[in-house]
Amino acid sequence: MMLEHVLVLSAYLFSIGIYGLITSRNMVRALMCLELILNAVNINFVTFSDFFDSRQLKGNIFSIFLIALAAAEAAIGSAIVSSIYRNRKSTRINQSTLLNK
Amino acid sequence: MDLPGPIHDFLLVFLGSGLLLGGLGVVLLTNPIYSAFSLGLVLVCISLFYILSNSHFVAAAQLLIYVGAINVLIIFAVMFMNGSEYYKYKDFNLWTVGNGVTSLVCTSILVSLITAILDTSWYGIIWTTKSNQIIEQDLISNSQQIGIHLATDFFLPFEFISIILLVALIGAIAVARQ
Repeated sequence: MMLEHVLVLSAYLFSIGIYGLITSRNMVRALMCLELILNAVNINFVTFSDFFDSRQLKGNIFSIFLIALAAAEAAIGSAIVSSIYRNRKSTRINQSTLLNK
Repeated sequence: MDLPGPIHDFLLVFLGSGLLLGGLGVVLLTNPIYSAFSLGLVLVCISLFYILSNSHFVAAAQLLIYVGAINVLIIFAVMFMNGSEYYKYKDFNLWTVGNGVTSLVCTSILVSLITAILDTSWYGIIWTTKSNQIIEQDLISNSQQIGIHLATDFFLPFEFISIILLVALIGAIAVARQ
């Protein structure tokens, strides 16, 4: 597998994740774009570990840690979104002004 | 994985097109449930990529945790909270000035990253790192090596990640409870 192709794919995923994170008005869609960014980082870890460090596998271990952190982030994020939805009846980002009162 | 050349290339093109279309679908589809399913497609394609690059344990972990847990949680969140709101705010997916500026910035980031990737000579780096690399035992498999590293070198981060997962789950339950 060519190294550059995978790196270009992960750069594409990263930039489209940042685009969606900035422009989305729905909090759940912002969470999905965060998952895209973390997956781009994970692809880079795994391919560099495969190409440069094929016996030591430290990149694979770091990607496993990143997957666990992403699981924690998804649980916390959806809990926060559900509590905001319970208070505001909406999940739009520009309507979550609970600190304003 | 050591596949013959045309099958490998076909799989690579197939997975790459799946990634491109799925990534566009996550951002551009108007209904959030469709973008959640397209996120699932992207995650499955990334897991097949990991299988192609010889790291089977990470592929299995990706398939179990991302597709099985995180994506189901996101779909559950979308179904739980997005009932009538999508129809009420039909107009908030219009193309505004901010979207144009953001797409310009992200395209410039992508182009600069691609030029930086294509300018770097990766194979020189491969030859300098392959020479002074410690050769471990060839007989044990990939996931066995990951297990050995997790139990010896990375023991403290492993315990920390378990504590972080426990604290995150307790915090999520405490926040989401009535």
